[in-house]
Amino acid sequence: MLNKFIKIIIFSISLVSFNFSAFAKDQIKIAMIEPMSGPLAAIGLDLIEQMEFFAERVNEQGGVLGGRHIEIVPFDNQMIAEKTIQQLRKVIDQDIRYVTQGVGSNHALNILKTLKKHNKRNPGKEVMFLNNSAVTTSFTNELCDFYHFRFDANVDMKVAALVTQLAKDPDVKKVYLINQNYAYGQSFQAAAQRLLAERAPHIEIVGDELIVPFGKILDFSPYVAKITSSGADAVLTGNWGPDAARMIIAGANAGLKVKYYSIYAGIPNAMNQMGKKVSTFTPIIQVTESHENDPDHPQWLKDIEAEYFEYSRKSPYADRIRMLIEMFATALDKAGTDNPTDVGFALEGLTSRGAKGEIYMRETDHQIHFDMVLSHVSENVEKTFIYNDEDYGMAYITDGWVSREDITLPTTCKMKRPKKS
Amino acid sequence: MDVFLFTLFNGILYGMLLFMLSSGLTLIFGMMGVLNFAHASFYMLGAYFAYQISEYVGFYPALIIAPLIIAFLGAYVERYGLRRVHKFGHVAELLFTFGLFYIIEEIVQMVWGKVPVGYHIPPSMDFSLFNLMGTSYPAYQIFVLTVSVFIFAGLFAVLTKTRAGLIIKAALTHPETVSALGHNVPKVFMMVFGLGCGLAGLAGVLAGNTLGTEPAMAFMLGPIVFVVIVVGGLGSLKGALVASLLIGVMQTFAVSMDYSLNSLISLLGFSFDAESLWRIFVDLTISQLAPVLPYLLLVVMLIARPRGLFGTRDV
Repeated sequence: MLNKFIKIIIFSISLVSFNFSAFAKDQIKIAMIEPMSGPLAAIGLDLIEQMEFFAERVNEQGGVLGGRHIEIVPFDNQMIAEKTIQQLRKVIDQDIRYVTQGVGSNHALNILKTLKKHNKRNPGKEVMFLNNSAVTTSFTNELCDFYHFRFDANVDMKVAALVTQLAKDPDVKKVYLINQNYAYGQSFQAAAQRLLAERAPHIEIVGDELIVPFGKILDFSPYVAKITSSGADAVLTGNWGPDAARMIIAGANAGLKVKYYSIYAGIPNAMNQMGKKVSTFTPIIQVTESHENDPDHPQWLKDIEAEYFEYSRKSPYADRIRMLIEMFATALDKAGTDNPTDVGFALEGLTSRGAKGEIYMRETDHQIHFDMVLSHVSENVEKTFIYNDEDYGMAYITDGWVSREDITLPTTCKMKRPKKS
Repeated sequence: MDVFLFTLFNGILYGMLLFMLSSGLTLIFGMMGVLNFAHASFYMLGAYFAYQISEYVGFYPALIIAPLIIAFLGAYVERYGLRRVHKFGHVAELLFTFGLFYIIEEIVQMVWGKVPVGYHIPPSMDFSLFNLMGTSYPAYQIFVLTVSVFIFAGLFAVLTKTRAGLIIKAALTHPETVSALGHNVPKVFMMVFGLGCGLAGLAGVLAGNTLGTEPAMAFMLGPIVFVVIVVGGLGSLKGALVASLLIGVMQTFAVSMDYSLNSLISLLGFSFDAESLWRIFVDLTISQLAPVLPYLLLVVMLIARPRGLFGTRDV
């Protein structure tokens, strides 16, 4: 009985979707594999919303390839790495030729490896991976692939930006490294050690710690005590989620006055969770593509972001989804076809507009490059951050810009390119 | 000396938080033989309820109201859920609490959303009480410590000095006899379950603002609480206290120790071949091992003394 019921439901769903896809035959589909349920669902759903917004914008402005539309097809991976592969198989079965993903580098790695095999074995049916936020550096180094394009700065580039700013900061003489003990945290640590020696030799590393990741540590006060006794002026950390928030809350409670140089410690959700007092107790500095309160924020981007706010009731945070869709659309028109191989060649070396100057997709490793901004959380801002109509009462203030050249790092990528058709 | 005192204080504080979480769990297990997988979910609900209530009436009323609501909720879960499942045996009960864990997580996500909520320390307690070697000690932490000490004292007094405690303890070992004497044993179970959940809720109220109130908080907490009750001895309140403090102090001290096997070797005047595979082991510092120590303790305890520190029966 129940079985029959389920069958009917599945049948009717497939009927509806079939009708829909038959009607929209000409659309260029991008499958988006992100967590839509589970503990990280909020991040995945926000990314999907952004992606859909920017795709719709392109469609409203006439679409691509003479009027064809871009359609985002979301797939839920529940933040389980095996599920990502399952969903990817579904994507391939449905003959979708573009896939995007960003939350979790282990998931991105699975996609990268599976597609590498698939593309080799199925010439003429290649699938392209548009990486929106997975930042592990090796994806554009030894693991690089022609059908992979990254639209976010990788860990090394972000660390380079942070260290470049650290070197300019007159308050910082001693820095404490604290990172999560897994692939991402370790690569942050390695990049920080290397780049600090290169770019800020006057800064002493007074602590270098790897902690157990993913919220397993409840009490950060012993770590705070260690940071205090080390005499550090700044903490350089790749921590995210509870591993960042708990550390900063514990630090603020103990009156620890250090600057936090981070990638994710000051993201909007985190600053709301920590509250105004903790978030502004000491500067929480982070590196992003752009932010609303930057004095030189260009008008065209402001207009787009205003539109996005109307659409989602959220202040803009990451600009990279816009970059991804706009560059993708440009590349489609440039290639004149929706074949991933041709689009790949069109994306190589492509330039587009960023908040500060040009953005550029490097040919050699398919890594995007752009100027990055360092900012810290503050209450004294023109536009406060709003998330689903809830006003957080804080936003970001620019500390400085790091130019594209300063975060352009050498690559070890030796890419095999397909034949141009 | 200062460093020692400071670390000890942090350790005790962390231990008392663990105690509040595990006391309810061990009580429920001791009484009903049910390993409540959803225990951490009640902790999460406590934090969310406190956040919601404190939005309207402030933190202090929330401190009382939220655990009470959780306690009643827990009692209802026992009365209309667990008691019905009970007749199918322990596996069914385990599965029931397991399912409850996921249901509560989903409900929390539906009501409060998937991102962390802004539940903060009340402004009236957001100041530093004293200074120790340049680090200030927050008043709120001391408040949490005080509350948890009172909770332990109260629980202990109820269980050992009152008639209710007598009945509870008797119902634990001889339910039929207690029932024959005219006491309503199922009702006693219901109240104990409610009390246990209420305690977890209280822990959520007190810890949610420093550890973060988010849908994954129950999941992240999970294992450590089970470690505490196994090490302390299943069903033993005293054991839960000692194990909590032990784990709290041990972990806190371990974090502050940057010694490795290699530093010991070099202290003895030898140097170790740095290129070999063993390097990974000799360079491992105690502070890196700190988060694993409770689980190491668990394994050692299960081998050496399966009933735990104060337990009366084997796991």
